Amino acid sequence: MIRILYRTWFEFAGWLFCLTWWLIWLQGQICWWQPMVLWVAFMVLFLLTRQLRFNGGAIPFVAILVLIGWVFLARLNASWATLQFWGALVACVAYVLGLWIGTRRFPYPLMWAGAALGLLAATALFGQSAGGAQAWLTLFGVRFQPVELARIFLVFYLAHYFTEERPRWELLVILSAFFLILAWQRDLGPALLVFFVFCWMSLHWKFTWPKLFGYIVATACGFIFAYLWFPHLRSRALAWLWPWDYLDSKGYQVLQGLFALRSGGVVGQGLGAGFAQVIPNVHTDYLFAVIGEEFGFLGTFSLLMVYLSLAFWALRLLHAVQDKLLQMLGLGLTLLLHVQVFLVVGGVLRLVPFTGMTLPLVSYGSTSLVAQLAMLGMLVGLGGKRGEE
Amino acid sequence: MRKSFLALVTMFGLLFLSLFYWQICADIQDHPANPRYYQMFKEDRGVIYDRRGVPLAASTSDGTIFARNYAAPSLCHVVGYFHQRYGMTGLERRYHEDLSQGRSLITTLDLDVQKVAEQALAGKQGAVVVVKPTSGEVLALVSSPGVDGNALDANWSNYLGDERSPFLNRATHGLYPPGSVVKPIVYGAALGEGLVERNQIWHDHGSMVLENRTISNYGGKAHGSITTDQALAVSSNVVFAQLAMSLGDRLIEEFRRFGFGMDVGFDLQNLGGYLPAKITSAYDAAQLGIGQGELLVTPLQMASVVSTIANGGVLMRPFVVQEVRGGLKMRQITRPQSISQVLPGSQARDVQEAMVLAAREGTAQTSLPLSLDYGGKTGTAQTGSGADHAWFIGFAPTERPQVAVAVLVEQGGSGSQVAVPIGVTVMDAALRVDE
Repeated sequence: MIRILYRTWFEFAGWLFCLTWWLIWLQGQICWWQPMVLWVAFMVLFLLTRQLRFNGGAIPFVAILVLIGWVFLARLNASWATLQFWGALVACVAYVLGLWIGTRRFPYPLMWAGAALGLLAATALFGQSAGGAQAWLTLFGVRFQPVELARIFLVFYLAHYFTEERPRWELLVILSAFFLILAWQRDLGPALLVFFVFCWMSLHWKFTWPKLFGYIVATACGFIFAYLWFPHLRSRALAWLWPWDYLDSKGYQVLQGLFALRSGGVVGQGLGAGFAQVIPNVHTDYLFAVIGEEFGFLGTFSLLMVYLSLAFWALRLLHAVQDKLLQMLGLGLTLLLHVQVFLVVGGVLRLVPFTGMTLPLVSYGSTSLVAQLAMLGMLVGLGGKRGEE
Repeated sequence: MRKSFLALVTMFGLLFLSLFYWQICADIQDHPANPRYYQMFKEDRGVIYDRRGVPLAASTSDGTIFARNYAAPSLCHVVGYFHQRYGMTGLERRYHEDLSQGRSLITTLDLDVQKVAEQALAGKQGAVVVVKPTSGEVLALVSSPGVDGNALDANWSNYLGDERSPFLNRATHGLYPPGSVVKPIVYGAALGEGLVERNQIWHDHGSMVLENRTISNYGGKAHGSITTDQALAVSSNVVFAQLAMSLGDRLIEEFRRFGFGMDVGFDLQNLGGYLPAKITSAYDAAQLGIGQGELLVTPLQMASVVSTIANGGVLMRPFVVQEVRGGLKMRQITRPQSISQVLPGSQARDVQEAMVLAAREGTAQTSLPLSLDYGGKTGTAQTGSGADHAWFIGFAPTERPQVAVAVLVEQGGSGSQVAVPIGVTVMDAALRVDE
């Protein structure tokens, strides 16, 4: 198993080398050393994780995703790639931090819930808005999106809620406060994500059909409520259901994404040969469509397979974890990542309404990258060391 | 964990399925909101050349978009047009993939012949198709009226409102009763079956009665005692009705071998016309033998017929693109392709001689001051309503024909007066440029 991983790892390095040279040829000013440094950084993480006798099997997958993301950002705009590069280096540090936190047992559930709500409230009060949602906070000169951290903290609380059978009113208060603040900030992507993760964790803890049915009804009611009360969501819903009626306005982004994907076909147009730069917010929301156009169905299929492999790795890891709290926590973190993949890719493909989140580990966004790698660190940490139970 | 695992796999399965649909199956590429569609107007496009290397269609840039320029308005029905707003037709459409990748087309067309044919047809409704009999190369293909590929923006609404249907390619899609221009086929078939001798004497009284209906010559003219060759030269309906009756169903078989009722396999889309499956009465046979009744053909098919006779009875597939050329070494050459020996060589030559007689002293004579030695056959097809369609098919020179032509003028009246001058002028021009 480890040997296979190593081989994948080295083959990938060769691949990356080719892609980088291709990029240099495409646009000369590219910082070709950036992916090399990233590759070394991930190699160090891998070796460190193994040295500490943790399960490091996820790191090659994560590295592939981050580096593919970097390549496509570099193809679109070299300055985005540079920012992503620094973000990824910080994220590597966050991983080590997460690893350390992951070996603790995340006590004090109410503290985490309070931290999540506090972060959100601070954003709502002092935040700056960009792209339709007020989601940014500046702390000590660093601008970041607190919701990326808040939802991780909320998952800590949820894990305690299920395993300790905490009072239901407490959960209701915390969740509704969480959703209300997000709704006020008009940032409903994370709200939807957290709601789905909550449902999934709840069903995982104790599966009953009425519960599943109840969550489906709640989702439907939530959509109707949101449609009636939030005008900016209404246009998202219209763009989702009837994009062809709003070619130039609401449906523009969705349709341009679909045109890009279709133009990719089976094998794609080739790196740099696509026409996806016309899509609004391409580097954050729609990087998946660029990959689809330039690497084709084979590329997007492989990309999703990498995510799926990551999920298999996480589930296998969690299967061996005996502690129920840690298991629920790990599941919550895994779901945060993979449900987000589903919402983003499904949004591009019109399976679900588009929620304007980033494609985890791939899209442009330093906060998101740091949070995802910290999450991964925690997952590896709580998975425990080999040979000790 | 098992349920979560299954749920995850289902979730990704859904993504894979819709990904497969949107990336491979969905039919949205040509949607007008797709900027990729307009991208092709911002890039250079391959040139379409005539047989001598003269550009027929080439792109010029105004800084932002490339517009297409055409060497002659009549090229719209063969080369077609390529326009940002009005889409693409003809070879521009058929070879879009090659052209958009910068590859060029070398056609068999001759711009000089094309222009002569265009002028000869100016102001009329009809079609001219010029073919090289030995190879099937199409030297010119004109359908009138047409649309000017260089001035689509200015005239588009006029074209749409024009009752003469300028978008219709009459050469490939116009269906007409052939009239007397099928007589060479009937003659060839009758000779092949041994039903008639060339110098056999016929008595033509101008008309004959068949199943209580009358078949008469053009203008009711009685030609008296004539040989079969002379019957073709003067276009005697009385004689050819009798030949057709004695051929019966074999005539339909012969028409089919000449390509009636089916696609001739041309580079551009074309109609096969209509050929009845069976002859039900003697009158039907007689009508078929003089090209009336249910039979419908396109001018392209008639050009193929006359080219087969001129080529010693060998039917060549007509084609217009002889080479696709691109990149450093990419060359894709179309070779002439013979479809079948429709008529034995000796009978083909007999028919040729009868057609030469028609050109020298029969209906296919011309008063034009040209020293052209040619063979031909006219037709004046009754339409049931309005004036007759004028037809001419011909070849030149009489020894080893180098060019064959089919001319149709819708409701032009007499073939001799209207169609012959056009056909002769075009053949003369084609031979002249060939030298």
